[in-house]
Amino acid sequence: MKKLPLVYVIEDDSDMCSLYEKYLKGMARVKVYHNAISAISAIDREKPRMILLDILLDGPDGFTFLNEIVSYKETARIPIALITSLFVGSAQDFEDYGVVEILNKELMTPAEIRDVVSFWTGPDVKF
Amino acid sequence: MAKEVDGVFVVAHELKSPLALTRQLALSIEPEDIDSVKFAKEKIISTTERAMRQVNDLTKVARLEDGLFTLEPVSVRGVCDDVARELRYLYRENHKSLREKYTNRSKLATANREMLYSVIYNFCSNSLRYSDEETRSELSVRDRGDKIEVSVRDFGPALPVNIWKELKHGWILEPTSIAMRPGSSGLGLYIASKFARFMNGEVSAIRHRDGTSFILRLPISKQASLF
Repeated sequence: MKKLPLVYVIEDDSDMCSLYEKYLKGMARVKVYHNAISAISAIDREKPRMILLDILLDGPDGFTFLNEIVSYKETARIPIALITSLFVGSAQDFEDYGVVEILNKELMTPAEIRDVVSFWTGPDVKF
Repeated sequence: MAKEVDGVFVVAHELKSPLALTRQLALSIEPEDIDSVKFAKEKIISTTERAMRQVNDLTKVARLEDGLFTLEPVSVRGVCDDVARELRYLYRENHKSLREKYTNRSKLATANREMLYSVIYNFCSNSLRYSDEETRSELSVRDRGDKIEVSVRDFGPALPVNIWKELKHGWILEPTSIAMRPGSSGLGLYIASKFARFMNGEVSAIRHRDGTSFILRLPISKQASLF
């Protein structure tokens, strides 16, 4: 049986995490981290195919996480989708940090999340 | 004016989170899956109740000067029991627990019951959110001279230094800017400190290596207890 791609969800709201896990069931192995530090510590053990990242986190925020991730060769090219209700600009503004999508937390739908993960963990994307 | 706008921004952002979650919960419902309907229903109720509580508290903060709220002798243990009862299932659901430890001899504080409830509820919700899984937070009541002290000790990340420093004055002057504390604007603490001041009390915090204690001190009521 084909192994599902690993997706990190970094989000401090446990209810939102449960929903992401539900949305991605059967299409990805989801690992949830409630803060940036635990995600950074885990990334050396198993590198994810994609990261869904909230910006406002307890402790170091999503931007700190982006800076950290992009500074290492091994993790710099992991596709990252920002999920936030803050207006932070477009994905192009964060291209250098591996951000491929920005999803608006207030308006996104389960289908959009699935589409983004399906595309960026799919066979067409090499990193 | 800039501070006022910042405050409005903080409040707006704080209220956006439960709205976004409620919307997602509604979108997650699959009518044929009874478990998903039950899960979403319960979460939507608890999320909207928490948001309404916050809106109600903000309304009270805005009307503190209007003389609508009175101070009277209030049983602190009774209020603590009520808060603990309301939140117990949430602690359980999040694989955490809350222990009550009462050592006070004085029974009553001079307070406003609703405000006292809000402050203790805020402290406990904070511990629910920030404490690590499988930890037991502690809700204590003890005497401190002519004050009665309620504290909630949690086990998780310590309170950020900037908020701790601000709390050293006994209250927070305004909601902290979002950039200061990602994930939380400190709005709950701001409301708690406003209520504490109204009740002639104060809010403070202790940073521990493995968590935080939030403390409320209120004057002991001089009225003899009938209980």
